[in-house]
Amino acid sequence: MRGVTPARLWSLGLVAPPLVTALLFFLGPLIYLFYVSLHEASSTELYGARFTLANYAAVFSDPFYFLIIKRTLATASWILALSLLIGYPVAYVIARLPPAKRMLVMLLLLFPLMVSNVVRAYGWVAILGRRGVINTTLGDLGLIDAPLSLLYSTQAIVIGLLTILLPYIVISIANTLASMDTRYQEAAQSLGAGPVRTFVHVTLPLSAPGVASGLLLVFLLTLSAYVTITLIGGPRTKLLVSLIYDSVVGFQWPQAAALAFVLLALALVVTALILAIMRPGRVQGSGR
Amino acid sequence: MSSRWSLPARIVRGIVVAFAFLVILAPIVVVIVAAFSPTDFFKFPPPSFSLRWFYEFFRLDNMRSAFLFSIQLALGAATFGALLGTLAAVFVAKRRGIVNGLLQALFMAPLVFPTIILGFALLLFYKSVDMPLTPGLLIAHAVIGMPYCFRTVLASLQSLDPAIEEAGQSLGAGPLRTLALVTMPLIWPAVLTGWLFAFVVSFGELNTALFLTGPGATTLPIEIFSYLQFQGSQLVIAAASTLQVGLIILIVFGVQQVVGLRRIVSR
Repeated sequence: MRGVTPARLWSLGLVAPPLVTALLFFLGPLIYLFYVSLHEASSTELYGARFTLANYAAVFSDPFYFLIIKRTLATASWILALSLLIGYPVAYVIARLPPAKRMLVMLLLLFPLMVSNVVRAYGWVAILGRRGVINTTLGDLGLIDAPLSLLYSTQAIVIGLLTILLPYIVISIANTLASMDTRYQEAAQSLGAGPVRTFVHVTLPLSAPGVASGLLLVFLLTLSAYVTITLIGGPRTKLLVSLIYDSVVGFQWPQAAALAFVLLALALVVTALILAIMRPGRVQGSGR
Repeated sequence: MSSRWSLPARIVRGIVVAFAFLVILAPIVVVIVAAFSPTDFFKFPPPSFSLRWFYEFFRLDNMRSAFLFSIQLALGAATFGALLGTLAAVFVAKRRGIVNGLLQALFMAPLVFPTIILGFALLLFYKSVDMPLTPGLLIAHAVIGMPYCFRTVLASLQSLDPAIEEAGQSLGAGPLRTLALVTMPLIWPAVLTGWLFAFVVSFGELNTALFLTGPGATTLPIEIFSYLQFQGSQLVIAAASTLQVGLIILIVFGVQQVVGLRRIVSR
C-alpha cells in the first residue's frame, strides 16, 4: 500500500480544481438533467414529484416529434455527404501545397471558425434574404420581377450549415493527408497501380482517421446549431434542437430534458455508425 | 504528384477549391462591407463609405454594454479555463492507466459535447441551487474553454524531454519550484495559445449563452441574434458583426506576435 506522501498530496491538489469543476459543472448537471427527464412537469417547481417515463414515450408516440427527428437526420445526412464531397478534394489540394503556402491557406480556413456563428448565419441572410445580394442583383439586372424566397427551408439550412462547418472537415482531412508517408503511394505505383487505384486502395483508407473525425465534428455541431437553424430556417423549419429550445423557454423542463437525451442518443448512434464504417483504428498511428 | 494531373482535371480541381473558399468566406466579407454603408438598408456593394452604423452601435446602450460584457466575460472565462486546463494537463501528462484515460476523456469531453444541452443542464442546476446566472455563464465558458488549453499544454508537455524536469528535481527543487521555474517557462506558449482559443470560443459562443444570459447581462452574439429576430436586419447588426470579427483579428494578431503564427495554425 502506498502511503500519503507530500508528492502525492501535491499532485492531487494539482488536479483537484479542474476535476471538481468538471464534475460539478459538467458531469453533475448532466446527471441531474437525466433525473429531471424522468419526472412529470410541475407548474411551480423545476419538475414534479412523480417518477414517469411519459416524457420519453411522448417523443416516440407523437408523429410531430417523429417528423422532426426524421427531418433532422435527413438534413444532417445531406450536410455530411456534401461536406465530404466538397471537403475531400479541397483537403487533397491543400495537403499537397508547400508547407509555407499550406499554413497560409489553413489560416484562411481557421479564421472563419473563429468568427461567431451568428455573424456567419447573418451573412447568409444578407446574401439570400429578400433584400439580399442575390435578389437585389437579379432585380437590378431585370431578371426577376419579385424577390425569390431563398431562405426559410431545409435546403437553406443545409447550405448555411454546410459552409459554416466545411472548414472543420477540410482541416481534419488535410492534416491527415499532409502527415501521411508518401512512400505508401510510391510503393503502390511501383507495383503497377494507376493513380485511381492508388487513391482508392491506399490514400483513401489511410485518410480514414481524418475523415472520421471531420465527419463527427460536422455532425455534432449540426445537431446543436440552434441559432444558425433559426436564422436561416426561419420560425417554421424546425429541427430537433429547436424543439428543445422551445420546450425550455416554455418551461416544459422535464420534456425538454427528455428531448435533450434523445438528441444525445442520436449523437451516440451516428458516432458509432461513422466509426464502424470508417474504422479509423485500423490505421496505425491514428491515435494522435 | 500534381504534374500527373491532366488539364481538365486541374480546371475542375481549381473550380472546386475556389467554390469552397467562396462559400466559406463570402458571408463574412458581405457583412463587413455592408457595415460601412451609409444607406438605411442593405445594399451591396454600398454606394459610398460611412461610419454611420458604428456611431449608431455605440449610441445604443444594449449593444455597447453587450460588447463590453462579452469582452470581460471572454477575458475571465479564458483565464479561468486556461488555468484549469493547464493544471489538468500537468497532472495527466506523466501518468498512464485506466483512471488517467478516464480523466483525459472527462477533460476533453466539453469540446465535442453538444453545448446547447450543457447550457440547459447548467440552467436547471443553477436554478436548483439559486446561483446567479452571470457567474454561472463565466463558469460555463471556462468549462468549454478548458479543453483547448488542456490539449495544447498536454501536447507541449509530451514533447518535453523528461530529463529537464528530472534535472530540476535532482538539484533539489520541489515539485512546485520545478513547475514554476522549469516547466512553465517551457510550456507557456502552449498555455497562451490555449488561452487564445478559449477567448475566441467564449467571445462567439451562442449555445450556453442562449440560456444563461438575461436582461442587463447579455453577450454580443446573443444581442445580435435577438436583434435579428425581433427588430429585423438593420445595418447596425452589420456593424456589431464587424466589431465581433475585428476584436478577434486584433487578439489573434496580438497573441501571434508573441507565440508565432505556426503554433496557432497547427495547434
